[in-house]
This record gives sequence, structure tokens and C-alpha cells, in this order.
Amino acid sequence: MPSQLNKAAVSIIPGAGALALATLYLIAMLRVESQTTILVLLGIGAAVVVVAHWLGWLAPVALSFQERDDALARLAVVAVVAIAGYFREDHFVLLLLCTVLLYTVATLGLTIQFGYAGVLNFAGASFFGIGAYTSALFTQHTTVPHLVVLLVGGIMAALVGCLLLLPVLRTRGHYAAVVTIAFALLLKTFLEVNDVLGGPQGLKVKGLSMLGWSFNDNIEIGHLEMSFYVSYLAASLLMLIGAFVIVRRLERSWVGLNLDALRLDETAARCFGLNIVRWKVTAFLLGNFLIGAAGALYGMLVGFVQPNSYTFADSLIFVSILLLGGIGNPWGVVVATVIVVILPEKLQAIQEYRFLLYAALVMMVLLFRPEGLLPRPVRSYLPGWRP
Amino acid sequence: MMLGAVDANASTGAARATDEPLLAARGLTKRFGGVAALDDLNLDVRNGEILGLIGPNGSGKTTFFNVVTAIYSADAGTIAFDGTDITRAASPAVYHAGISRTFQRSRLSLPLSIFDNVMIGNHKRLNQGLWFNLVRRRAFTAEFKANFAEAQALVASFDPPLATRMFEPIAGLPMIDRRRIEICRALISRPKLLLLDEPSAGMTHDETQQLMENILGVRDRMAGLTIVIVEHEMAVIERITDRCVVLNFGRKIAEGAFASVAANRQVQEAYLGLQ
Amino acid sequence: MGFGLLAQYAMNGLMLGMMYALVAVGFTLFFGVLDVIKFSHGDVLTVGAFAALAAFVGLRSVGVDSSAVQLLAMLIAAIGAMAILGALIARAFVMPLRSAPPLNTLLITLMLGTALREMIRLFYPDGANPKPFPRLLPNGFVRIGEFNLRLDNVIMLTAGALVIIGLELLLRRTKLGLAIRAVAQDEETAKTMGVNFTLIVLVTFALGSGLAAFAGVMNGLYYNEINFGMGLYLGVVGFSAAIIGGLGNIYGAILGGFLFAALQTIGAIMLPFASAYKDVFAFGVVIAIMAWRPTGLIPEKQSERV
Repeated sequence: MPSQLNKAAVSIIPGAGALALATLYLIAMLRVESQTTILVLLGIGAAVVVVAHWLGWLAPVALSFQERDDALARLAVVAVVAIAGYFREDHFVLLLLCTVLLYTVATLGLTIQFGYAGVLNFAGASFFGIGAYTSALFTQHTTVPHLVVLLVGGIMAALVGCLLLLPVLRTRGHYAAVVTIAFALLLKTFLEVNDVLGGPQGLKVKGLSMLGWSFNDNIEIGHLEMSFYVSYLAASLLMLIGAFVIVRRLERSWVGLNLDALRLDETAARCFGLNIVRWKVTAFLLGNFLIGAAGALYGMLVGFVQPNSYTFADSLIFVSILLLGGIGNPWGVVVATVIVVILPEKLQAIQEYRFLLYAALVMMVLLFRPEGLLPRPVRSYLPGWRP
Repeated sequence: MMLGAVDANASTGAARATDEPLLAARGLTKRFGGVAALDDLNLDVRNGEILGLIGPNGSGKTTFFNVVTAIYSADAGTIAFDGTDITRAASPAVYHAGISRTFQRSRLSLPLSIFDNVMIGNHKRLNQGLWFNLVRRRAFTAEFKANFAEAQALVASFDPPLATRMFEPIAGLPMIDRRRIEICRALISRPKLLLLDEPSAGMTHDETQQLMENILGVRDRMAGLTIVIVEHEMAVIERITDRCVVLNFGRKIAEGAFASVAANRQVQEAYLGLQ
Repeated sequence: MGFGLLAQYAMNGLMLGMMYALVAVGFTLFFGVLDVIKFSHGDVLTVGAFAALAAFVGLRSVGVDSSAVQLLAMLIAAIGAMAILGALIARAFVMPLRSAPPLNTLLITLMLGTALREMIRLFYPDGANPKPFPRLLPNGFVRIGEFNLRLDNVIMLTAGALVIIGLELLLRRTKLGLAIRAVAQDEETAKTMGVNFTLIVLVTFALGSGLAAFAGVMNGLYYNEINFGMGLYLGVVGFSAAIIGGLGNIYGAILGGFLFAALQTIGAIMLPFASAYKDVFAFGVVIAIMAWRPTGLIPEKQSERV
């Protein structure tokens, strides 16, 4: 593969083709109701991937995504809009899609912390919940514009994260793990016993409204009727685009290099001038900001927030997505989130068993393919550039 | 505790103008438990020289490097570099002052590319601002291209074929290439002082010869570069060093040109354990 | 606060401390031997408790009514089954990942714990709800002033102490214990001295898991109830306790366990109207301790060759 870097510009066709196929596949998967058809579709999908791998077709696709990343990202946005357009009247599917988009944003935040800086965060769902609770409090009790509330949600998550800065900075490995796990348990108990924050029942969150237009009303444009979730989808998509751009540019810069350096060898990094504290803090807070902002929008999306949705087990879901998709690869995060969120919803049979299945799946990945479904490629600062 | 950032290119001049040593250790002591790895060590590194640091295993050579680069902190004594006291400075500050090093156990980031690894050494010459890196992409692109050219040229001066593979991960490369890249990482920031810790470890005789040619070539091209090299292969020391310092049990037992040091009875006893 | 209430709090604290200490010792054993954190430890405790319950149900359906026999059989079933499970976990998931970054072992055992927890919830009859655990210890009590010293608590405390002392004796006085300590100290040297490394690792994991089963049964007897999520909580507490006391140090683990229980008890006493906050308090202190001493109160000795 490296020798191809010296040849002519990498083609976008393999990547675009794969993207188009995936979009159609996803639409079919979301459309179909019958359980048997879904199983058949799953089988076909798996078979296609295996055959493509055997024929050597996957490598050009990977290269395409590596080098023509920016253009393919734009195509992916078009794909999402297309899917949303197709399902414009389907509340359930749109809600599912929004969940996928927002979970992806949160997991991208975790990617910065864990994938790049190597900072363990087993309280991802807790910070997601902090964003949602912020949403609840601000929409119910203040007149702060809702878009600003999203920002505040992110800032709150970052601020609460500051409480953990000292132990997070000073601990390594399993000691660091305990810090965030203890925090996750602590926060859940705190939210449950605290009546001000609604106790176990939680709080209601007002739907997003912007410039007088409420997102919770169905949309009618001429003859076109759309579910109100379309508005949320637009907002979620914009948030994801923002998060994706930030994460991409972060990785493709000296900052991304710093994070990798400190994750891989802290002692050597310090010998070459790296201020470990500065970069770990930056990664941790920036990651939490993304997680919190996504949580705030999610709160508005579902309309309520309760401690039971943001437990340690839910944090493990985020970690599972990271490990499954391929640590440090944003595209891997997207693919893994789609699988983890959509599959159990469609395959009713496995709904009950989904935690068990995620756990088993991640264990298999760790044993046999620890780099994940889409391993992270070598850093390419200017995709498509030739020396 | 932290030394303020010192620009390596704007020399304080203190050491260069006079005949003051570039690096001066006085009474340097470092203990691990009951063992004194460095024992009241006095050592000078002169400006522009290639100094060989030799001695039997456990004599404190790598510990000296580790104390200078602040991986360990000295228990007693002082270290002065280019006129400034760096005894209490932290590792990043020592780097910013102009000291760069390689490690005995090659410490490269294996999953990262050759370019990435070299750039890690270039930290102080790169713009680290978050805004610059995330928002000002055109400016970043320019800085990237300039630094890529420089890194490629440096790697090419060691091994031209290697320079065509700048974006390959290190993991698959043989030892000699890894050593070269590690030295490039140390050199890219144009340090005043380069500390080489057993660069020939794990390499064949021929590879060692090649590497030493490279190092001599680098010294010729980078005017004003001072090198301290820890080595066990005496042929290398004899060939490329101007002067040697011999350590034993954390103390200096001999100093001078290689020939005189090699003939020194105390040195022979230290290596061979004769009484 | 009256003597009676204080004594009650103290007894609660002692019981909790004993249970946490048992879990913490398990963690520290695994870490000592293989430098791994087996995050599934708490959930093995849960499986042990449910195994004991299943044994009880089985015995009763066969007509065995004696409490003593039931208890004995339950303990044997739970400890035996968990010992086997522990060894299997070591063989299938922990040992293959020895060459991988230690983070992977942490993650795989974390996921394994989730899997065990979910399997109880899904496959044990009515597993999602709390299940009553039988009262098998004598019901009597001794009155000391205003305080009722319950006999079953005394029995459990004594049993726990005996188990820990037994473990200590095993480690200090037997050949097996010597082998375990040798492997914990230096794997390479132990191997060259003829110690069967794999066997010792499996035995250690079996031992620790058996301990967890014992703690699980004790937990069930104390609360008269078990539920599928009990292991997660106990696991985190046990792990925190082991860390506070210094990983690899048995006395530290015991100290940590009782310390954590003391923290919870103090929290409960200080906030009598909001005793639910005791966990917030206790975990908060753990986080603060980690900030102050990143490798536990009895620090780990770091030796990295630079």
C-alpha cells in the first residue's frame, strides 16, 4: 500500500461506490419489518463483505477513504440527507437515526480522550447525561436560547470533568480506570437521591425551539409533510459534521501528533519538550465538551432525562463502540455506532440480549482483531498530498 | 522549577564566547536505594567536540544521560548548560534549552510513521496552538510542507531510500533504520548538544560503521553541534571521538584522548576486574 | 448517639468491611500473580451467589431440609463452580492476552463481567428481579446493653476471618503458596526454578474466584437477598479497596476493604437523613485518594528501565 502513495491521485470511486452501497443497504434494513427478511439481509451483508475481502476489493475502498476523506465525508452527508428524505414521515426511523448521530458525536469525544490521548474514560454516559440534565434545567427554568443551551451542556460536562482532572492526570492504566468508574457510580447515586434533580424519575426537557419555531411540531412545506424529527435530524447532523471536522483536523495536526506521542511513550515525549499536563487536559476537556453537547441535544430529542439511562453500563456501550469500530478511526466509530444502535432495534429477537451480545462481540474483537473493524491508518496530514 | 523556554538558535553565548564548557557537571550524585549510580561526578563537555563516555556496565553512563535530561533528579550536585543552571529543570525545559538525546532501548513510537517520529523531536519549532492547528489550515499546510521537506532531507542524509518512505510506520523497519530515525528525531530541532546512548547496540559491524559515517557527516554539516556518545564498541570510540571520559561506579577515573585512556592501568582494571 | 445505635453501625461496618476485604483480596491475588486486573471478579461473586441459590433450590426439591447440610452443600457448590469458572476465565481470556497491552486485559474482563451479569439476568429464572436468599444461620442474639449482637453476624465474621487467615497460611506455609508468591514476584525466575507457571496461574485464579463465591454467599446470607447487579457494585468497591491498600499486598487489600466500609459508615452517620449519600461520599473519597496517591496508599514500586 505505501508504494501507491507515490503514484497518481487515489480514486474516489471505490469509496463512493462503497458508500452508495452502504446507504442503499441501510435504507433496506431500516425499511424492512419482517424478521426473516432482516436476517436474510444480514446474511447477504456479511457475505458481501467476506467475498469482497477475499477478492481484494476492500483495500482500494480503505485507501479511498484514507486519501479522499474530505470529499467522501461530503458524500456521506448527502447520503444521510437522502436516508432522512426517504424516511421523512417515519418517526421511529428518524429517532433511531438521530440517536446514531448523537451517539457518534459522543463517541468521537471519547476518541479524542481515549483513542488519541490514551486517557481512560469509563464515565462517558455520565457526561452525556450531564449534558442532558443541563438541557433539562436550562430549558425548564431559564430563557436561554436553546442553541446556546447545547453549548452550555458541553461546557458543563467539561467543568464537571475538571473535578476529575487531578486524579485523571496523576493515574495510569487500571488506577485511572477506577477513577472514572467510581465517578460513574457516584454520579448515578447522586442523581437518584437528589430531589432537586428529579430523583429516579428524572426531569422533563423542553423540545428544541429556535427563533420561535418549535422542533416538536411536524413540518409542513406545501404538500410535503415531514415528521418533526427531521428538524432534530438536521440539528444532529450539523453537530456531527462539526464534531467530525474537529476530530479530523485535530488528528491531522501537530496537536494530534502530541496526543499520540504522549499516549505511546510519555517519558520520551517529555524529553522532546511535550507538556503532558497541557495536552491531556486539552484532550479530556475537549472530549467532554463534545460528549456534553451531544447529551444536551439528546435530552431535547427524547424529551426527558433520568439517572437510569446514563449508568456505567451505558458508558461501557460507548467504550464498546470505540473498540468495535477501531480505536482512533472516526469512520470506524460511525460504522460501529450504526451497528450497535440499529441492529438490536431491527432484530427484535436480540433486543433483550443486546448488552450480552455487545460484550461478547467486543471480547471476540479484543482476542482476534484488537485493532477493530476499521483499523486506524497512519496519519496523513494532508489527505491526497504527494511530496 | 521549570526553566523558561530558551530559544536554541539565539545562543546565550556564555559558553561559546569563552572557553567555558558547554555542559558542566559538578559533584553530581544519584542514588538508587543504597547504590550510588553517580558518585560526586565532575564532568565537562567542551563546545563542538565529540566526547566518548565509556566504562564497564553499571558505571553510570546512561544514568548520567538520564539525570541531565531530568528523567531522574540529582540527589546532589549541579549541572550547568550553556551558562545556565539546569539541575532542577524538568525534561521539557532541558529540551528547550537545546539538549536532545537517543535512548539505549530504542524508544520510537512504533505505530507512527517515520515522519511522525521525526516530528516528535521538532516540537519546539512547530506552532502548537489549538487555533492554528484546527482553524488556520492554510498556514498549517505551509508549515507542514516546509517541515516535511526539512525532515525528508535530514533522513535522506542518513539513507536516501529511507527518505522515500516517510509515511511508513516504524514497526516494520530493521534496527539500523530505527536507529537512524531516532538520531534524526534528536537532530531535527537543531540542538546544541546531542546525547547518543549506545547507538550501535543491536547492529552488525558494518551497520555500525555506516551509522558512524552518518554521524560524522552530520557533525560536519551542523556547525557547532556537540556530541556525547556512550558506546561499548571501542573501535567506534577510537574512530570518531575527540576525547573520552571513563566512568566506574559513578565516578570519573580517566579523561583524555582514546589512546591515552586505553593505556591507562586503572581503566584496564575497571574493565577487566583485575586487582 | 446512643450506644445501641453506634454499636449497630459498627457491626454493619465490620460486616461490610469483611465482605469488601474478601473481594479485595481476590483482586490483589490476580494482580500479584499476573499483573492483571480482572474486572469480572465482582460478577463472579454474583454468579457464585446464584449458584449457591440454585443448589439450595435443588436440595430443597430433593427433600433435604437441614440448614447445616444445605449451607455446606451450597458453599461447596458455589466455591467449586466458581473455582472452575475462574480457571476457565484465566485460560480463555486472560492468558492469551498476556503479550497485548495490559489495557486489553482490563477491557476484556470488563466486558466479561458484563456478559456474566447479563447471563444471570437473562437465563436464571426471573433473574432480572431480586431473589430472596434463605436464612440458614441460627437466629439467636446476645444482648449487650441496648445492642443486639446477632449470632449469625458473629458466625459470618468469624468465618470470614478464618478464610483470610487460612489464605495467609496457605500462602506463607505451604509449597503451593510458595509457588504462588514466587510467580507473583518474578515469573521468569519461578519458571526456571521448575514452577509450572500455567498451573499456578490457573490455581490462583481458581482460589480468588472461590473466595468471591464465599463472599457472595456471605452477602446473600447477610442481606437475605441477591440480585444480578450486586457484583458490579461490590467489584468496584473491592477494586477500590485493593488499590487503596496497594495492589499486590494482601494486608493492604484487607485494610482497604475495612477502610472503605468505615468511610461508608462514617458517611451514613454524618448524614443520617440522607444516608443514600454515603456512597457518593465513599466514592468521592476514593477519587480524592487516587488524586493524592496515584498508586494507592501503599505505593507500587515502579521500576522501568530507561
